[in-house]
Amino acid sequence: MAQMSLATDSPSSVHSSSSDDFAAFLDGTLDGNSSSDREEEIENDAESARVKRHKVESIKEIEASTSKGPVQKNLVVAEESLKVDICTHPGSFGNMCICCGQKLDGESGVTFGYIHKGLRLHDQEISRLRNTDMKDLLCHKKLYLVLDLDHTLLNSTLLMDLNSEEVHLNTQTDSLKDVSKGSLFKLEYMHMMTKLRPFVRTFLKEASKMFEMYIYTMGDRPYALEMAKLLDPGGEYFTSKVISRDDGTQKHQKGLDVLLGQESAVLILDDTENAWMKHKDNLILMERYHFFASSCRQFGFNCKSLAESKSDESEADGALAKILKVLKRVHHTFFDEHQEDLVDRDVRQVLKTIRSEVLSGCVLVFSRIVHSALPALQKMAEQLGAICLTELDPSVTHVVATDVGTEKSRWAVKEHKFLVHPRWIEATNYFWQKQPEEDFFVKKKE
Amino acid sequence: MFFHIVLERNMQLHPRYFGRNLRDNLVSKLMKDVEGTCSGRHGFVVAVTGIENVGKGLIRDGTGFVTFPVKYQCVVFRPFKGEILEAVVTMVNKMGFFAEAGPVQIFVSNHLIPDDMEFQSGDIPNYTTSDGSVKIQKDSEVRLKIIGTRVDATEIFCIGTIKDDFLGVINDPTAI
Repeated sequence: MAQMSLATDSPSSVHSSSSDDFAAFLDGTLDGNSSSDREEEIENDAESARVKRHKVESIKEIEASTSKGPVQKNLVVAEESLKVDICTHPGSFGNMCICCGQKLDGESGVTFGYIHKGLRLHDQEISRLRNTDMKDLLCHKKLYLVLDLDHTLLNSTLLMDLNSEEVHLNTQTDSLKDVSKGSLFKLEYMHMMTKLRPFVRTFLKEASKMFEMYIYTMGDRPYALEMAKLLDPGGEYFTSKVISRDDGTQKHQKGLDVLLGQESAVLILDDTENAWMKHKDNLILMERYHFFASSCRQFGFNCKSLAESKSDESEADGALAKILKVLKRVHHTFFDEHQEDLVDRDVRQVLKTIRSEVLSGCVLVFSRIVHSALPALQKMAEQLGAICLTELDPSVTHVVATDVGTEKSRWAVKEHKFLVHPRWIEATNYFWQKQPEEDFFVKKKE
Repeated sequence: MFFHIVLERNMQLHPRYFGRNLRDNLVSKLMKDVEGTCSGRHGFVVAVTGIENVGKGLIRDGTGFVTFPVKYQCVVFRPFKGEILEAVVTMVNKMGFFAEAGPVQIFVSNHLIPDDMEFQSGDIPNYTTSDGSVKIQKDSEVRLKIIGTRVDATEIFCIGTIKDDFLGVINDPTAI
């Protein structure tokens, strides 16, 4: 240190005389450090304790061969020191144990790159953190909410994919200086245009009171961070809670293993059911938001996009507003209905119950539905609480068909039962609310 | 710890830089090349402070590039195990906190934060003692002890602890 201060005081003069010794000193120190960590570590408390333990153990061995009296005492000492210095390496940062600083081999544990580069945690530590976090969260009456980006909260397109009917958007984009006010943004440097879903700002604000929110997208990290900036310019909701496909542990799948929250308290909002194979019970499926034509085409729709027809989802009555109501109900049920043992509660159960109340009392019969689509529809209806029959029966309330000409359809008309299109079930499933049947009546083909 | 040392490097220079500004070109290229880089041996090169000497250039056959051995003085920063550092907290979460001392990224796990400090979530996540007298949050300055270091090509990672005497917060951003 003394040398250093000298050097900084008068670099030129001191340098020539002392630099050689100094470099040698430095080399010596650094060599010692890199080749044999031992010498340096011996000064370390943990290391010296280990050395002591070795000594104790060797003494123990000698004594064990001679007498039995003092052995017990030594054993106790040995065990105590064991407790102190054996580290379980609960995680690593830059391939060093976060507890003892020892260098570890990289590839174990789950990476948490979205929190900080180089951070990995082991399963035990993750579950320990989840448990402590859970208590804290329940005290604040909050749950976890995982949000998807594309088609759920917003819709993006590449600038070159804009078609002639959408070019007018180029002149309507909002300023990037104050993103909190706009909803349509042109991100020139990413060659993208992004439209936020109507109601999203209110949604996030309201949801943040009930949930700790994460973003989880199949996009790459730069995109995810950029979108997070648009949604949350103040950094109130998503700081170090943006998970992208680079952070996932499985390809083409999203998993809750990278989330520091217990699965029993996580709700997921996503438009792609298949991404969450392992966590379907946590999932609230969203109706896809297609603002741009390229996004419609990607999913095989030939209808006009919202941008082409210069319209948009309703702000007050769109998908996000409806889902927010569902979220409020789930939150309310989770915290208010049963007062005791919060920790054992499972949000998946709550979700299931609420879902099964949506169509309770409805008895459905399907008529002439394509075979491949039937099982999915039936399952959907049953999850929503409806009873599905295969044959007509006076208790039937709805006939689901695509054609008015079938026998069952005619029966429905005659008996004044609802004759609805399968989309009625799908819409009900998206909005968690029985949709007005009038909007989904099957009409005669002209 | 900072060191003022002499390092050597073979600089390859394109023939277009030859001429009376050769030396200047050599120096600016050197600065561009080495400042901000890391080596496991010497640590982070903070700044080049001077040129000791430039050796004879050697013309490479075929390319016309010339290699000059350059000896230069520079300030390097290298953290050591056991060293006490002062760092600025950059992020606080339930796992612990991250801090920066210049180019060095330091992680202090909650295992190495004194047991009487507890994590508080909220708008500004922090670690606070039960009586509320000490608080670690973003932008706090802390004094910590390095217990492990690893140097990459461009980054230095450290594990730190504040679970020891005289370690912890040295200023409080909310007090200003």
